[in-house]
Amino acid sequence: MFHRLLQLGTLIVSTSLLSAEHWAFQPLKPVKGTSIDEFIQKKLAENGLKPSPPADARTLARRASFDLMGLPPERTDVPYEQFVDQLLASPHYGEQWARHWLDVARYSDTKGYVYAREEKSWVHATPYRDWVVRALNEDMPYDRFLLLQIAADQVVPPKSPDLVAMGFLTLGRRFLGVTHDIIDDRIDVVTRGTLGLTVACARCHDHKFDPIPTRDYYALYGVFQSSAEALVPATAAENAELTALVKKNRDLITKRREEQMARTRTRSADYSKAVTELEKYPEQGFDQIIDEKDLNPFIVHRWKAWLEKHPGVELADEALKSLDSPAHVPDEHIANIEMFFPTGIITELWKSQGDVDRFLIKNNTTPAHATILVDRPLPSTPRVFTRGNPLTKGDEVPRQFLSTFGSQQPFKIGSGRLELAQAIIDPRNPLTARVMVNRIWQHHFGRGLVSTLSDFGKQGSPPSHPELLDWLAQRFIDSGWSVKTMHRHIMLSQTYQQSSQTSDPRDPDNRLLSRMNPHRLSFEEARDAWLAAAGRLNLRMGGRPDALFASSNTRRTLYALVDRENVPTAMRTFDFANPDLSIPQRTETTVPQQALFGLNHPFVVQQAKALVQKAAASKSDEARIRLIYAKLFQRSPTHDELAFAQRFVQADTTVVIAEADHTKSWQYGYGEWDEGTGRVKNFKPLPHFTGSAWQGDEAWPNEKLGWAQLTAEGGHPGNDRKHAVVRRWIAPAGGTYDLHSTLIHEPEVGDGIRAFVSHSRLGKLRSTTLLGSKADLNLDAIAFQTGDTFDFIVDIGNGLNSDQFLWPPKITPSVTAITGAGGDSPSDAWDARQDFSAQPKSQLNAWEQLVQVLMLSNEFMFVD
Amino acid sequence: MGMAALGLADLQAAKPHFAPKAKRVIHFFLNGGPSHVDTFDPKPALKLYEGKPVPSHRITERKTGAAFPSPFKFQRYGQSGIEVSELFAKTAAHIDDIAVIRSMQAQVPNHEPSLMLMNCGDSIQARPSMGAWLTYGLGSANENLPGFIAMCPGGMPIKSAENWQSAFLPGAFQGTYVDSKHEAVDRLIENIRSPHADSRVQLRQLELLRHINESHRQQRSDPRLEARIQSFELAFRMQIEAADAFDVSKEPQHIRELYGEGVHARQTLIARRLLERGVRMVQLWHGAGQPWDNHDNIETNHRKLAAQIDQPIAALLHDLKQRGMLEDTLVIWGGEFGRTPTVELSGGKSKLGRDHNHYGFSVWMAGGGIKGGTVYGSTDEFGFAAQDNPTSVHDLHATILHLMGINHEELTYRYAGRDFRLTDVYGEVITPILA
Repeated sequence: MFHRLLQLGTLIVSTSLLSAEHWAFQPLKPVKGTSIDEFIQKKLAENGLKPSPPADARTLARRASFDLMGLPPERTDVPYEQFVDQLLASPHYGEQWARHWLDVARYSDTKGYVYAREEKSWVHATPYRDWVVRALNEDMPYDRFLLLQIAADQVVPPKSPDLVAMGFLTLGRRFLGVTHDIIDDRIDVVTRGTLGLTVACARCHDHKFDPIPTRDYYALYGVFQSSAEALVPATAAENAELTALVKKNRDLITKRREEQMARTRTRSADYSKAVTELEKYPEQGFDQIIDEKDLNPFIVHRWKAWLEKHPGVELADEALKSLDSPAHVPDEHIANIEMFFPTGIITELWKSQGDVDRFLIKNNTTPAHATILVDRPLPSTPRVFTRGNPLTKGDEVPRQFLSTFGSQQPFKIGSGRLELAQAIIDPRNPLTARVMVNRIWQHHFGRGLVSTLSDFGKQGSPPSHPELLDWLAQRFIDSGWSVKTMHRHIMLSQTYQQSSQTSDPRDPDNRLLSRMNPHRLSFEEARDAWLAAAGRLNLRMGGRPDALFASSNTRRTLYALVDRENVPTAMRTFDFANPDLSIPQRTETTVPQQALFGLNHPFVVQQAKALVQKAAASKSDEARIRLIYAKLFQRSPTHDELAFAQRFVQADTTVVIAEADHTKSWQYGYGEWDEGTGRVKNFKPLPHFTGSAWQGDEAWPNEKLGWAQLTAEGGHPGNDRKHAVVRRWIAPAGGTYDLHSTLIHEPEVGDGIRAFVSHSRLGKLRSTTLLGSKADLNLDAIAFQTGDTFDFIVDIGNGLNSDQFLWPPKITPSVTAITGAGGDSPSDAWDARQDFSAQPKSQLNAWEQLVQVLMLSNEFMFVD
Repeated sequence: MGMAALGLADLQAAKPHFAPKAKRVIHFFLNGGPSHVDTFDPKPALKLYEGKPVPSHRITERKTGAAFPSPFKFQRYGQSGIEVSELFAKTAAHIDDIAVIRSMQAQVPNHEPSLMLMNCGDSIQARPSMGAWLTYGLGSANENLPGFIAMCPGGMPIKSAENWQSAFLPGAFQGTYVDSKHEAVDRLIENIRSPHADSRVQLRQLELLRHINESHRQQRSDPRLEARIQSFELAFRMQIEAADAFDVSKEPQHIRELYGEGVHARQTLIARRLLERGVRMVQLWHGAGQPWDNHDNIETNHRKLAAQIDQPIAALLHDLKQRGMLEDTLVIWGGEFGRTPTVELSGGKSKLGRDHNHYGFSVWMAGGGIKGGTVYGSTDEFGFAAQDNPTSVHDLHATILHLMGINHEELTYRYAGRDFRLTDVYGEVITPILA
């Protein structure tokens, strides 16, 4: 490993030498050329290869539509060039390409793991995502696109909607508040994301391969250390309720800051002593629960740093009140200053901040807010942490740009973040344009000209067509950094319009592009395309995310909730970008879990059924099949396909599985317990079945019915007494029956649950309240007439807290009541658990089977 | 990676670097942090200091006070005579197969970073879990089952799925989470059973799918097409095999009795069935949240928790042995850290419990390649901090990989310009515990 090599100290070659040698650090070469095809075809000819013939119009329409919009085309008969322009003008273009950028920006709607005191959702994720969509749709020049994401606070006025661009820096994980790691994440996303340089490698040691010394890392570290997080409005609109909440929060934080500063000052003697026994005061990352009487470890370390910086000066009176005093608590967002406070106050301040955050998150109509960085009044000069360890501080480094780019000038304005952004987008910086045109190329062709998209260093792969890359990069800059112009340019080339259906053993990997590479749909594209084919895709743009599989969620997958702590298995299985890390290109795997999703998850079947329903109006089988093919593949079936599909649906031998009678005897619903009548009021069925639970919606809990849920073994009552959950048994025949059941409430917290057994004619038969205990609820020889019901009802105690329960009743005919032969035949038992797992048995019919298969076919999943 | 058709077999790194001693791993994860001085690291000195501060006192997350002697009895077991507390008396009957590391150390006394360190080798950064590295490095011995399965009854531990994440490794290597509270197989693994088609219908559909995909492929040369065709056949077999693997009712009565009653017995027995079928790594978490985090009333709480897993662990060791599987199955027991030998205070009063302790704690391993009846390292007289042979989590990981036939310095993955490994730049194999 290079960590070890570093110790030798001699391997670090002069950076200027390296810079000159490595292609990516050299200026863009002036290259003569007239078209992409010229470069590609020249190289093909050198290798004795020829381009493939052009793809047909339908294939091109599908290719262009999925590339630019991530959706199948509605029409395939528009002349190609005109079609490309239509797609570029579509608002859905921005949604598709935003997703590519969000992969790079390690986008998540949540912060990842945080302590319970802190709101876990980001306030500004939605506005940032929607800003990226808008910026791309407007074809915002790429240099400005980057400038705003790194330094909008310094180039747009307060309350500008462009402030939300800075989510790029601030949407990373929280790393439990550890500053070094938050800054490391920001350095990584900026340098790999915009420059294709792996600067974060230099956190612990000079970069082994690239001319990036540790000093460069800490020069950037200083920029971010001198910037503080702030939550600010990104619109002039106001909301009185919000203003009140913000003021309340500010007043509290001001009060607590002042108290803390006073507290520290009165104990200055103790702090001065503490710096001599630092081992008692751990660094950030080692979390201690401390109270107001304790010396604060963070302040102890600041105290020591101050004394080192001011040798011989006494830290008293005036010095203690100065802005750079270790006792001073800056007037900043709690995220920046929580370390100054005792644990109880941190909790209080986060809760207060959480009131503001939750108001912003829950109200779609509130003024948009941005979490930005602002320069601190006193920028700090970073010191190298030797081997990445904050305890072993080395030399001071000025805040400045990377040494690779020539003579370094210390940044002069504030933190230097604006100058950093300007250095990145400087047209003389050869990396920024090369990296971006390569990203665009990659999303069109499946592979970049440089295949390591975020690593243009010496360990990255060299470009397959270096001259083309420079030519494109120069054109990109000359076009005013227009991304749309670059798309147009690429898509109108013959190279892009080639057929993908050829192969040449001389270039099996197709590095030279003698054909087009087929594109396999990403998870988002597949889900959107299924919904589109079913006619159910809701194209509403922007706004708060929805749970991926909420039954009401038919929006584009871009708007599905990304919780970086809990990415849905389906998304991970289909190679969704890890939201913790800047991902330049997704891996593409083929694993059986993907097939299981397609076969067994209710989602695909729902879309298949919807498409079958749409086709039902067609008069003949043939017409139906034609409509289905048109919706799925934008083409007519061939003669053979038509005949085959017709045979498939006509030879439907599907026997409707005789449903076990017992499953019909149960219903799963909710209602309100009425003590007066001893019965449930307003019984309604729980509307959504997940395959393993009945509840309000796919997500659980959900907005419709909260925590209400019934499973095979038990369930959870709804959030209030009006939403008791009710497992209902319906007597299939008159007679007397016995009940055997045990109700268990396991948690020893909260105030427990109430439970009732009620008979439709006899009213309340049993009731109990439980907290961390169990009860046997048995009844013998209860008389029923056909259709009478037996309700098993659970609601909350006085409050909603840990109310989950287990209660699978068994009902058997009373032994004495059994007429005819047999005795106690076990088949006459209604077992809530067993009968439940048999739910539901509505087998797909032949049409649904056919459409599901077509939706899972390779033709659907691969775009030629 | 570009255009390649990546099935799992294509993704995995390589064969083992050398002949493995162990082919599979089962990890009992006592999340929350089991107390070493109450289980595998007896400290009689605590009795002498009862009520007094201990000289080796260290700062931890919360304030702790005087020495707090273990309320549990220790006794010697086996030929080796290693002392174990009554909490794990049944497990202790197998002590001659076990190597106890008494000098483990983590980095900070907080759950979240310590869970990440123990599972993924880094306290802070998002890194692949050990199970993800193992399946990446070795693949699964059974394509019809996921290679890495994490079971936790009743919900997720703290840090949820991050504990078995694949981070920058492909998503296929992440642990498959199973809520072992459930008994029905369709509730155990997502999408393992169709709610809308029986197997006859599904076969009819798969036949149709193959027909359609075959004719589509005729005019094309992309190898990804064939890989995807095969994945559907694998999926169909996975449905059958997984249902079988998770069905403990197929075990004879005497085996079920051996493991005992309750969810921990069931998940341990399921784990054995999975290992038998070629699953590379199974992690058995104790429960949702952090059950072993007994800041108060440790006597009652630790007793209750240990009673839930002592018999299943002992049964597993016995069962693996009688099947000849213990010799190539690595059994690991431990939490993310241990607990203080001093009593936790709240407002200056004793809570009869212990705080987190990352300075020293115990982990034990048994089976494949482990020298049983061994004690490695020690903590100080009171059990506060590792003293002899302090052992990092990286050392533990290096040793586990070594037993699996992997040189921990050579199993790497290039991401963001660096070759990453489970052990970062650290880790030395603990040779004294190797057979």
